[in-house]
Amino acid sequence: MTTEQQFETVDMMLNMGPQHPATHGVFRMVLTLDGERVVDVRPHIGYLHRGSERLCETESYGQVITLFDRLDYVANINNELAFVRSAERLMDIEVPERAMYIRVILAELNRIASHLLFIGTYAIDLGAMTPIMYCFRERERIQNLFEHVTGARMMHNYLRIGGVKEDVPSDFVARVRHLLSEVREGVEESDKLLTFNEVFLSRTQGVGVIDAATAISCGLTGPSLRGSGVPYDVRKDDPYEIYPYLTFKIPTGENGDCWDRYYLRVLECYESLSMIEQCLDQLEDGLIMAAGRRIARPPAGEVYVHSENPRGDIGVFLVSDGSDKPYRVKVRPPSFCNLVALRPMMKGAYVADAVAILGSLDIVLGEVDR
Amino acid sequence: MNVTLGEVINIAIALFVLFNLVTLVAITLVWLERKLLGRLQGRPGPTRVGPFGLLQPIADALKLLAKEDISPGSSQKVLFFVAPLLVFVPSFVIWLTFPVAENLVVRNLGLGLFFFVAFSVLSIVGLVLAGWSSNSKYAILGGFRAAAQLVSYEIPIIMSILVVAMLAGTLDFVEVVEAQEAVPYIAMVPLAFVIFLIAGLAEVGRTPFDIYFAESEVVGGPFVEYSGAHWAIFFLAEYVNTFVVGLLGALLFLGGWMWPFGPDLPTPAAAGLVLVKAYFLTVIIFWVRATYPRMRIDQLMSFGWKWLIPLSFAVFVAAACQLFYKWNPWTLTIISFVIMAVPVVIQIRRQRNPALALAARYAANAIVVQARPKPAVAAAMESESATTDAAPEGAGA
Amino acid sequence: MISGLKGLLTTLRWLGKKPVTAQYPNQHLPVQHRYMGFPALLWDETGDEPFCTGCMVCVRECPTQCMTAIMHDNPNFTEGLSHRRKIIETFEINLNRCILCGICVDVCAFDAIEMSHEHELASFERAGARADLGLLLQQGRRYMKEESWEPASPGRNVAGIVLEARAKTAAAKAAAEVAAESKSGDAPANVKPQEPNLDEKTPLEGSES
Repeated sequence: MTTEQQFETVDMMLNMGPQHPATHGVFRMVLTLDGERVVDVRPHIGYLHRGSERLCETESYGQVITLFDRLDYVANINNELAFVRSAERLMDIEVPERAMYIRVILAELNRIASHLLFIGTYAIDLGAMTPIMYCFRERERIQNLFEHVTGARMMHNYLRIGGVKEDVPSDFVARVRHLLSEVREGVEESDKLLTFNEVFLSRTQGVGVIDAATAISCGLTGPSLRGSGVPYDVRKDDPYEIYPYLTFKIPTGENGDCWDRYYLRVLECYESLSMIEQCLDQLEDGLIMAAGRRIARPPAGEVYVHSENPRGDIGVFLVSDGSDKPYRVKVRPPSFCNLVALRPMMKGAYVADAVAILGSLDIVLGEVDR
Repeated sequence: MNVTLGEVINIAIALFVLFNLVTLVAITLVWLERKLLGRLQGRPGPTRVGPFGLLQPIADALKLLAKEDISPGSSQKVLFFVAPLLVFVPSFVIWLTFPVAENLVVRNLGLGLFFFVAFSVLSIVGLVLAGWSSNSKYAILGGFRAAAQLVSYEIPIIMSILVVAMLAGTLDFVEVVEAQEAVPYIAMVPLAFVIFLIAGLAEVGRTPFDIYFAESEVVGGPFVEYSGAHWAIFFLAEYVNTFVVGLLGALLFLGGWMWPFGPDLPTPAAAGLVLVKAYFLTVIIFWVRATYPRMRIDQLMSFGWKWLIPLSFAVFVAAACQLFYKWNPWTLTIISFVIMAVPVVIQIRRQRNPALALAARYAANAIVVQARPKPAVAAAMESESATTDAAPEGAGA
Repeated sequence: MISGLKGLLTTLRWLGKKPVTAQYPNQHLPVQHRYMGFPALLWDETGDEPFCTGCMVCVRECPTQCMTAIMHDNPNFTEGLSHRRKIIETFEINLNRCILCGICVDVCAFDAIEMSHEHELASFERAGARADLGLLLQQGRRYMKEESWEPASPGRNVAGIVLEARAKTAAAKAAAEVAAESKSGDAPANVKPQEPNLDEKTPLEGSES
């Protein structure tokens, strides 16, 4: 008691600047420290702002798809899907079933690739330098398949309003089935290396806890929200494409700490694998593009469509004035909204935990800053 | 005592040779670590500079030496310059008493073990000075962490060395090795070896104990403001220290040149055997680095104080009892394993099993979203059961 | 402990496996067939000219506006060697701006541009990223050879096929008129000339194919 009265301490400001190995991009956190404990955190964003939404106003719908590729540059197909669905809703287009199956297969593969990247980078943030190599090896396999189907490893520009650009190659089903077995082994390997490792458990369990009510009020979505026990997943609550025809599980956590958020993503990888298998079984021949005009000219109006990105709930608010260029495209990026939850998570955490907590949120600065 | 000129020249030559050999060993360790880490991660490691990348450390050293020497404007220049030396010199001085074979030692002191312990502590001062004189928040944080960690883990290392000294009855390196002619001490007190290895990892600053210069957090810790040649000195000192841990493990626990081939090996073979054992332990250190994440500073400290130190005292007391009551030496092995089992079982019950149960619960309690039948199937079912179907499928939006 | 030891075994197992790395530049991983590299212009052998007519649709549709193009009258057209009235004169792609999206290929009506497999185009000059018509055609020819490229609409775009088809319809028409004339006995009214007249409007051939 008397020692506290005698010592007056000054809180230290620590800048985890835009250039930092652990901030997953150009992201700046100003931490206010009291010794080793974080008292407050102020995130500074905008270092990757590229004016995507403003560019959308002067580019035609086909060109906007290339912009959406680059928003969340780890989950490209999911972003493209969010946008083309909003345009299709506005134009009242019915997408052929085969196109929807192809989209969902590629989107779930992209989800696995994104989660693999998360596992690898989270591990190396915490000091384990091997899982990232294993995870990126598996990502290479997935990206090879993407190159085979869409022509590009990352920025695919493959989805179109009304379907997909071209049909998948003839060996698509066989190649994806082979890929699934390889990826399953890779995920299991990283799982074995990391999930129950004693040091990893100590670093992540009980760290960065957020309860369900705070999480919902912060606008947290995705696996981070499900870690706190809220079973909200757009694929379940507002299903789209052919998700109603698939049987899958939504894993939810209990404690809302970093380990839950990490492990749920591992479980989602397995779920995505099973979903892709179901899609391959249900895939039939058919059209891959809805009949319609080549130049998209939606009627004037506005629409908000949301879907499940690997990071959370991505929403696209599309306002059209009847011309061939959107009037306004507003993106609700999951990482941006998840960052609001950073503060309640960091209250009272150690400096070394700051890195673990930020990593467990799995943000991608491309969509935070757009 | 009188020292003749010949003796002085002998010692000077021996020191020079030692310095070069130690540097050479450190350089090979740099290559070995990078190659090994690469292979463990599924990469080839360095391949371009020289055959199998063998000249990679030379390239690294040349690059570091050619860099511009930058120091922060507000740093304490004298301390900034002296700190690397304070880290580097003890790492080399302790080699004075290490024997690589029975007569391959610069100066075999009767207090060899004690000399090693005394001088290795000096490098802690250097690290703290490095952090302090850099005058940067990250460096200060790292310096404090380094001081806390290194001082705390000195105790288990000293304890495990004392156990060996007790069992051998001497502080002289050569006699300790000779005492292991029949059975190496790793078989007699495996717990002391494990403690030595873990505390050695912490002393050197290797994962999982490398928080104080962790790249992803304090980005270098006390070394963050050092570049070029200064950084090269820290780098070299770290690798030399790593090898010292390996060499000590080989000498004190694995039987040095005595086990298993006995004392009649010719000197080169004896030296080779010791080096093989030392490199083997170093490889294990690198292997651990590749696998484990790093511990947080408070977890590290609590691990050291709450687990390692009590365990080291326990094994110390056990060894003392064995010597005093003249028990069979193998009782120490049994006692070691029993004591080692305690933290393992506690960890399994307190951390691993709940985590496994949690994971199983998450997998089991996952909400299942059932598939709806497709329109064609639904229409068929509808015509069968003659009940109206639900809302039309949300195809397309 | 257990998981840590299991982890150690997992990493150890990799010592026995061959590294997955392909050591560039000694080993180039082949790109897939559909890989979208930098755009390249394609060459029509039958007309000995590029497919590209300089219609600028790709230039307009490019999201990053990385291309410029200028067309001019096609000398081969006046000589009757090609059906293209206009042909490309200059074409430049700023490779620094190109985002390899493939929209230019999607919108081209003349099968004139393709995403080649070029992706190793680093250069030592500041202006080295500007690909002019010569370089683009060279890369296009390489792409056509390596991938055994076939045009998507040969009946409309390949000069030889188009001219052949036109000649056939012209001959058929002339033969029909001769037959009709010999039947009715009238003087031939409008004999279609063999060579296309620039003043006349010829319908776009190949719309049926």
